[in-house]
Amino acid sequence: MVSSVAMTATDAHRTIDAVWRIESARLIAGLTRVVRDVGLAEELAQDALVRALEEWPRSGIPDNPGAWLMATAKNRGIDHLRHERMRAAKHEALGHELEMEQHTNGARLEAKADDEIGDDLLRLIFIACHPLLSTEARTALTLRLLAGLTTEEIARAFLVPEPTIAQRIVRAKRTLSDAHVPFEIPRGKELAGRLSSVLEVIYLVFNEGYSATAGEDWMRPALCEEALRIGRILAELAPLEPEVHGLVALMEIQASRIRARTGPNGEPVLLMDQNRANWDRLLIHRGLLALARGAALAETRGPYLLQAAIAACHARAPTPEDTDWVQITALYDELARSAPSPVVELNRAVAVAMAYGPAAGLELANRLQAEGSLRSYHLLPSVRGDLLARLGRYEEARGEFERAATLTQNARESRLLLQRAAACKQGEMS
Amino acid sequence: MQYMLLIVEPQGQRRTRTPEEGRAVYGQMLAYNESLKARGVLLESNSLREKSARLEVRDGRRSVTDGPFAEAKELIGGFFLLDCPSREQALGYAAECPAAAWAAIEVREVGPCYE
Repeated sequence: MVSSVAMTATDAHRTIDAVWRIESARLIAGLTRVVRDVGLAEELAQDALVRALEEWPRSGIPDNPGAWLMATAKNRGIDHLRHERMRAAKHEALGHELEMEQHTNGARLEAKADDEIGDDLLRLIFIACHPLLSTEARTALTLRLLAGLTTEEIARAFLVPEPTIAQRIVRAKRTLSDAHVPFEIPRGKELAGRLSSVLEVIYLVFNEGYSATAGEDWMRPALCEEALRIGRILAELAPLEPEVHGLVALMEIQASRIRARTGPNGEPVLLMDQNRANWDRLLIHRGLLALARGAALAETRGPYLLQAAIAACHARAPTPEDTDWVQITALYDELARSAPSPVVELNRAVAVAMAYGPAAGLELANRLQAEGSLRSYHLLPSVRGDLLARLGRYEEARGEFERAATLTQNARESRLLLQRAAACKQGEMS
Repeated sequence: MQYMLLIVEPQGQRRTRTPEEGRAVYGQMLAYNESLKARGVLLESNSLREKSARLEVRDGRRSVTDGPFAEAKELIGGFFLLDCPSREQALGYAAECPAAAWAAIEVREVGPCYE
């Protein structure tokens, strides 16, 4: 990879960091199968990383860094379990140790069958997203175990203090360990619920990156990339699940717009104003393929497939004027039936306004306003402002934009909303 | 981030292999391809045939030269388009490519050509 002679310490650390990000998920997954405790597996993997950081800058990167890390971690694991056995003489631990020695001696560095590694990885995804854990804990643990992110990186991405994330991860690992959560792929009836818990976490990570809820940065692309990567892995591992393909399709299509979503000074550019030549055609193509794959598998389309189908309507339109809003409205109707929520209703109002005029859309938005559950959600006044402005009711529109600006936590979005409020003032005067 | 891994192989190398050897090499590359896919980083890939044509349009006139080109010592034998966060990770995946042992892997970041 990099010759040891030419490698400076910084180079080596960067390379080791990259190797870690590439290998850590498979490493932790393989170790969890052996030691049956995801927390212990993660510690063993971390120990192996520390050893690599000590040795590789001197010795050079080994030919097969993944196998080196696995062998090192397993040796540590054997030491650990011997120690445990001496202390507690646990039958369980003894059993695991035997299994482990069998693994290290027997099939030591032989490449394991790919599908076996895949199954371990799938089990790891299900454990990290276990319903026993809070959504926050699942998210942190997924980024830690599947994406190989450090506690510090996760904390930075979610704008929370590092100790908070560290504590979340420690507690999550303890919860899983205390509950003796089995390292297995859920089957039958349990699968649907567990899978939706996984999809929720992946999409949450993606969205956190796609439209940051707070702070100066409009997006944190690394989170989008990680979510997309985990989603693609999941689609390979669970190819018969329509909603997995739906989620991947949705993320591919949304990611295709990342380059077009910000202007030269980092300001947000809304979907209808984006330069479509900057959309990534390859990602759109992949998204449409995933959508077709998922739709072919589904008896009735679930929420991810429906959202992906909506995103696809935009992706297929060469210009904003070509957008098939009638089709989008129909898809939102279906989505509102399958996964009813005020946010879906709000989006439906926007689609209806585009298909059948701003007055029809405003009627739906007003109903939401009266209903009250979106009281602190900035997009409701933002949408109402937009519809009121299109109806020429600038004074009311301005009030809505100003309210939206105080509700959003994203600094750039707030500036954009205040600009729109100012534009309404000009509208009032003309 | 997207990175293109270009397989740059010595001109004429393919013809030194027997058909069985050629298929074995291709099989190794397919396995590598699958492992990239399984890790969620592969966007697109393919291998390229040796036969090529070079086209130029000068003053509205087009000329086509059929390859392989005697002056070139290397040819692009195939590509893998990866979606991964950093150049270092792209290099890490490139290091796993079986072709790194008999050809060179050129790692290029995808981006506009005017920057």
